[in-house]
Amino acid sequence: MKKLETDVVVIGGGATGAGVVRDVAMRGYRTILVDRADLGQGTTGRYHGLLHSGGRYVVSDPRSATECAEENEIITRIHADAVETTGGLFVVGPDDPLDFADDWLKGAQATGVPHEEITVAEALRREPRLNPKSKRAFAVLDGTVDGWQMVWGAARSAEDYGAQILTYHEVTEVIRDGEKVLGVRAIDHKSGEEVQIDCTFAINAGGPWAGQIAGMAQCPDVDVVPGRGIMIAMNHRLVNQVVNRCIYPSDGDILVPVHTVCIIGTTDVKVEDPDHLAIPRDEVQQMLDAGEVLVPGFRQARALHAWSGARPLVKDSRVSATDTRHMSRGMSIIDHQSRDGLNGLLTIAGGKLTTYRLMAKNIVDVMVEQMGDDRPCRTETEAVPGSKTQKNYHVTHRLENAEKILRKEQIVCECELMTRGQLEELIHEQPTASFDDLRRQLRLGMGPCQGGFCSVRAAGIMQETGKADVERVTELLRKFLKNRWIGLWPILYGDQVRQTALDNWIFQGTLDMDHLPEAEEAHV
Amino acid sequence: MKTVVIGAGIAGLVTAIRLREAGQDVTLVTKGLGGLQLGQGTLDVFGYNPDRVDSPIAEVEKVAAADPGHPYAAIGADAVRTGVEYMAGLVGGLLEGSVDENILLPTAVGAMRPTSYIQSSMANGACTAGKKLLIAGPEQLKDFYPQLIAGNLARTDLPGGGRVEARSASFSIPARGTEADSSGLQYARALDRPEYRRQFAAAIKPLVRDGETVGLPAVLGLNDLNAWRDLQDLIGAPIFEIPLPPPGVPGMRLNQLLTDLAKEKRVKVILGSPVLGGTAEDGRLVSVTVGSTGHDMVVRADHVVLCAGGFESGSLELDSYGVMSETIFDLPLVGTDIPEPTHGQYWGDPQPMFRVGVKVDSAMRVLDAAGQPVYANLHAAGGILAGAVRWTEKNGEGIALGSAIAATDAILGGI
Repeated sequence: MKKLETDVVVIGGGATGAGVVRDVAMRGYRTILVDRADLGQGTTGRYHGLLHSGGRYVVSDPRSATECAEENEIITRIHADAVETTGGLFVVGPDDPLDFADDWLKGAQATGVPHEEITVAEALRREPRLNPKSKRAFAVLDGTVDGWQMVWGAARSAEDYGAQILTYHEVTEVIRDGEKVLGVRAIDHKSGEEVQIDCTFAINAGGPWAGQIAGMAQCPDVDVVPGRGIMIAMNHRLVNQVVNRCIYPSDGDILVPVHTVCIIGTTDVKVEDPDHLAIPRDEVQQMLDAGEVLVPGFRQARALHAWSGARPLVKDSRVSATDTRHMSRGMSIIDHQSRDGLNGLLTIAGGKLTTYRLMAKNIVDVMVEQMGDDRPCRTETEAVPGSKTQKNYHVTHRLENAEKILRKEQIVCECELMTRGQLEELIHEQPTASFDDLRRQLRLGMGPCQGGFCSVRAAGIMQETGKADVERVTELLRKFLKNRWIGLWPILYGDQVRQTALDNWIFQGTLDMDHLPEAEEAHV
Repeated sequence: MKTVVIGAGIAGLVTAIRLREAGQDVTLVTKGLGGLQLGQGTLDVFGYNPDRVDSPIAEVEKVAAADPGHPYAAIGADAVRTGVEYMAGLVGGLLEGSVDENILLPTAVGAMRPTSYIQSSMANGACTAGKKLLIAGPEQLKDFYPQLIAGNLARTDLPGGGRVEARSASFSIPARGTEADSSGLQYARALDRPEYRRQFAAAIKPLVRDGETVGLPAVLGLNDLNAWRDLQDLIGAPIFEIPLPPPGVPGMRLNQLLTDLAKEKRVKVILGSPVLGGTAEDGRLVSVTVGSTGHDMVVRADHVVLCAGGFESGSLELDSYGVMSETIFDLPLVGTDIPEPTHGQYWGDPQPMFRVGVKVDSAMRVLDAAGQPVYANLHAAGGILAGAVRWTEKNGEGIALGSAIAATDAILGGI
């Protein structure tokens, strides 16, 4: 067994965990982050990409609204390269009640969420596809954020302060000696090796899995209720700003332009198991209907990919246990010292991607206090590596770069303008990465062809770098296409059927990929 | 007699040419350039059902007898054999093979793919035990990875036992100037020029060891059909082509030959224009309406052959409410009674959705639910026929060519 030693172990590599490890490292502690999969593979990567202005919560959750408004400005600054400052609109649809808009306006004023009422004509000038029968419109500072880019930014910043990031390390045990945490044991899924990490403090940032992790430390009844929501990416930016329906938060009321696509979300259904999230066809239909209200003709646009994510909502006695939509989006810190008599363990759950930094600050503040130190949080003041120039992401960045290197470098993915250099660099940095790991950072296979052309190229290039043999790249390719398919079949209609038929002609018709030999042992 | 053919894929072009050869007046209307150029440029008759098929025409006979829902049941093995041989004859020597036996050819991921008729430039690639292969390609071509191809070929058991020996090599030669990112089509155009072929061969020749056959990307000339032979002489070793993802140069060669032939035989071609529908009188279509800039055109017809392809061509559609339709004549479809796509692997069990299409009689007339022709003079051929998942079964060209023959025979026979 491999042994490591550190001050603080952070369990969970979503936005919260990455924020925590960065904060802990910046305060001068030695720290190691472990995640059972890739960074941002759970909840953080399975959302619609909205950087909240706070507007969504001005009526339903005023405290969250204010936090969002404040954090929005900070995230836009410290994660400039992950944030596109699109702006946003709150629009009262043709059949939506007008009185909510009055409440919304009062709420926005009370919570300090920047807003401005504009005429419907002006809203249509900004977003020509918007429903022309809309009744009122408010402009807000919504943005979009690439969750993976943000998490990797925080992780790299943490590494600059000496932190270690161990992905594909699944915690199997929290080691305790009576009333004190001594460390964790984890299994390294890439090597199969067991790892023991001795520490003086552990922070559980497991999101929907936080209850299971607390259970490993014999701290029962941490009730995290996974609230499942589906999202659908459409193959164009039907809108260039975030468009919210100005109604009490409901299903399918947000359309978010992210990178080359736009995403409609979402539903909210209580589920038992965050590892098995369905994408029900009736919820897909619900999203399409909702899209029609925001942007007429939505059903004729091409749906590209669907996915499902689980919010880590902490059980709240104020609402019915099945109503995850109206459980607090606020954060909950569980102090296992006072609750369970165990020193050296804190759990954090709830919250939102937009407030990830604040959540990290709050929990690390508690930890620092429990450790008897006085080390203030500095995460607000310093940009992460990659964002030092303060230049916000813009959808045409890759196009600008592609024009510079035209004819000098290969474009491996034409949909997302990913270059061979970008791919090779990341493979070199993460030689054991799966194609989905590469996808999360490079958008491989995420454009309109959904891997039809780029997936085989990625396999060929991976092998040429010498980081994988032919059996492994073939298995990686199979797995990648299998995973793509999970998000395709629930939305197989319209032009996506046509694309799927073309992709099938390529994969099976021309390449006969389905008859490649199976690996003797799956080692991906 | 005047026939309107809709679609410019292999079924449409062959139907049009065959009718012209019989003296019919033919107008071919097409929205796009046809699907031939997207494929691998071989003629598949039957590759898998679901196990690998050795004798494709025997499999056609078997399926025709046993599965009335399969397009081969209506088409019949004779029409398939006639169609494939007719097509091979039309492109004069470019294609070789037999409907009686499948050949196993390497693909661009290193699988071994069964097919019936291949281009002569591919023939040296037929996989046999102990064969020594060198897979090589230019680094600037991003759709061809020699290591991946050679690696997978070398670990594949051949049907009769044994394996091929395969190794890989790369060389560097841009297709144009110093371009680092050239498409297969750019290479094919460059290799039409003898001077470029000499440079290309000079890059490969030093890599080849005694006794090796060289597998190259299928870009060895577009218009010069002998380019590969010249290259083979220059290299001094047997070579063969491995088809790439679209655009497919071997498919473009077939398309070019058929298109030239159609023009030569004076098929009237209306390009870039969708057929919007038709007018019927007394149970027959009397004209089709063609959408074109400014005003719609009405083209009179004694017969109509619908060769518009399947979902990939936009000829079949599934809307967001789950309703399937044929987009030109709103024809009755069979096989639409499927609850939802199967949640499986990308290439797991064939998705029933892709078997949807029109049902035809032995004259390829489109039938309604009662089994009667929808119009006495409307025939269908190719990808729009119900009952086959062509990319899985590898029988796209066999169905297209067999149905083209059955439809033209019916028209010429006076049905």
